[in-house]
Amino acid sequence: MAIQTVLIINKSGGLVYQRDFLASSTKLSSNDYLILAGTLQGVTAIASQVTPKALQISGSNLSKAANETEYSIPYAGPLGVKDQKEDMGSFLPPDYFTDSFASWSKSGLKHVTTDQFSLFLYQSMTGMKFVAISTQSSTSNMAVSFAENFLRKAYCLYADFVMKNPFYEPEMPIRCELFDKKLTEFVQHL
Amino acid sequence: MSSGSGNVQNGPAVSTSSKKSLRVFSDDIWKNKTAKINAELFTLTYGSIVSQLCTDFQRDFNKVNDQLFAMGYNIGLRLIEDFLARTALPRCDTLVKTSEVISKCAFKIFLNMTPQVSNWSNNKDVFSLILDENPLSDFVELPMDASKELWYSNILCGVLKGAMEMVQLDCDVWFVSDVLRGDQHSEIRVKLNRILKDEIPAGED
Repeated sequence: MAIQTVLIINKSGGLVYQRDFLASSTKLSSNDYLILAGTLQGVTAIASQVTPKALQISGSNLSKAANETEYSIPYAGPLGVKDQKEDMGSFLPPDYFTDSFASWSKSGLKHVTTDQFSLFLYQSMTGMKFVAISTQSSTSNMAVSFAENFLRKAYCLYADFVMKNPFYEPEMPIRCELFDKKLTEFVQHL
Repeated sequence: MSSGSGNVQNGPAVSTSSKKSLRVFSDDIWKNKTAKINAELFTLTYGSIVSQLCTDFQRDFNKVNDQLFAMGYNIGLRLIEDFLARTALPRCDTLVKTSEVISKCAFKIFLNMTPQVSNWSNNKDVFSLILDENPLSDFVELPMDASKELWYSNILCGVLKGAMEMVQLDCDVWFVSDVLRGDQHSEIRVKLNRILKDEIPAGED
């Protein structure tokens, strides 16, 4: 699975980061990306408002344990981490995390497949959205959990190299070279 | 991935449901996944910030308290992302759970200490964190003029306030006692004002 583009959207729906990793990808103008980000934000909100009737009825009496297992994402191995001596910011090798984890987005948009590519969306509890566009069209759950693993790692990088940069202002576009560098390395090792 | 109950036991998704597993979970994160530095470096850096602030504000300790709180608030707004990226814990559905996550997980990971949670109000919207040890205030003795006014570790209150605000919990946080002022123990009071329901991101239940 090759990652073509990574986008980060802040909680108000503004695009704060966009990067293409493949030279061949079709060029959109930065304005188009802004519109895409806003649209994704809107579609996620709408998608969480429309729920099948069956789930609306059974949702309230679903046992909590079942609910938690359902949204648990398995750990997908040391994706993107090159070797154990790599500098991982404030995290310790071998990997950023090694447990399965729960997804915060339970009824929002998580995955879009087209015949050319797939789009994956990871949302943090604070409302940040991480979007990855891969060059493969995939419909399997496996691909979704791989993507969630990858995007959680991107979130770890964001927490380290963006949030800890004193000159970065929250909610503003991300211009942090170190974050750029780390993310690029990370995508290349996928 | 192994299926069945064995896997569920280890996953962070349910680790908040039993006290022991949240503790084991945070111990593991602290021990195996978080880079460490010498705590004295941290203590002394904080000490130099506070003493510089006292000079800058000409020993007006109320202003120093406010400034420390504001600095902590700005740290909290950012630190929450690190905490969430590291732990990926699910949203807390009660303040009781929040207090457990704060004491057993957040304090453990960032300060390597586990404050006790106590003094719950009747409707469970106010609680206290009792800090038996406080790495910020090692080597510190307050000067005479500061001992009635300065809350030396007030930055912690700001951090808690800022971090909880980012997960839509509007709280008031303040110190009620401090060993540096001669009290029995240091106590931080946390009061939940309201949950900012409108700001919970779409797609979360």
